[in-house]
Amino acid sequence: MSARGEFPNVSETVTQASIDAYAELSGDFNPLHVDPVAAAASEFGGIIAHGPIALHAFLRAATDWLGVEALPPGSRVAVTYRAPTRPGDTIGCALTGAADADPLEAACVSQDGTTVVTVRATLP
Amino acid sequence: MTDAIDDAPALSAITYDELVVGKRIGPFEERVTADLAGRLAGPIGEPRTVAAAPPAVFPVLFLRALRRGLGGIPAGGILAKQELEFHAPLAVGTTAQVTMWIGAKEVRRERPFVTVEFDVRDAHGVQAVSGRKVIVWPTGPGQEAGR
Repeated sequence: MSARGEFPNVSETVTQASIDAYAELSGDFNPLHVDPVAAAASEFGGIIAHGPIALHAFLRAATDWLGVEALPPGSRVAVTYRAPTRPGDTIGCALTGAADADPLEAACVSQDGTTVVTVRATLP
Repeated sequence: MTDAIDDAPALSAITYDELVVGKRIGPFEERVTADLAGRLAGPIGEPRTVAAAPPAVFPVLFLRALRRGLGGIPAGGILAKQELEFHAPLAVGTTAQVTMWIGAKEVRRERPFVTVEFDVRDAHGVQAVSGRKVIVWPTGPGQEAGR
């Protein structure tokens, strides 16, 4: 365990309401996120969440872990999007490496075990 | 492309070939309101009170700049990677200046990848966050246009 304690177990259930809220905040009204008919006709077969929504659990866990509102100067977060997140998914985030590693390695995983996002982060 | 996000198209019609590497777009002014920061500090959309912009604000500012600068991500575009570098906190109530540019265009394994760079500064020009999105652009080599 790191001196900062255990990495928090943050999870978040993605809903169409949270996707709509994210579209409103970001101005990203791509039909894949907000139009069920257009999304159903796409290669994804239905609505998918904006990519950063899948990262949200990690960002919340990181700030909770550090006890801060904003990540400190020198922090770096690198994200690879692995799979789409859909309404109804519950995304949890956990470290996949040691808590004192630099960079930290983490994964955001849906309730069925699908890794939707992997993260490498430096949190000074 | 436009000063007002609501006037920007929701989806980019710019093709891979039309993207110009290195041309700076912006800066766009974005107010980091208490509502924006608070609804991204905890579960998405649930308001909280914070004094500094939580990290989830910055992907939102990137997306807003992308829409204002390029008309958003094109239909069929896929976000592959994202990076964020934090240089200084951004206080709630700040009017941020967001500049973007195409950092790279390259075809890898027959797929067209576009790297869009972002630079976020406070009202005094102090860099708060830099970063980038790597997007699989749907109208590039090997892709079916308009997918």
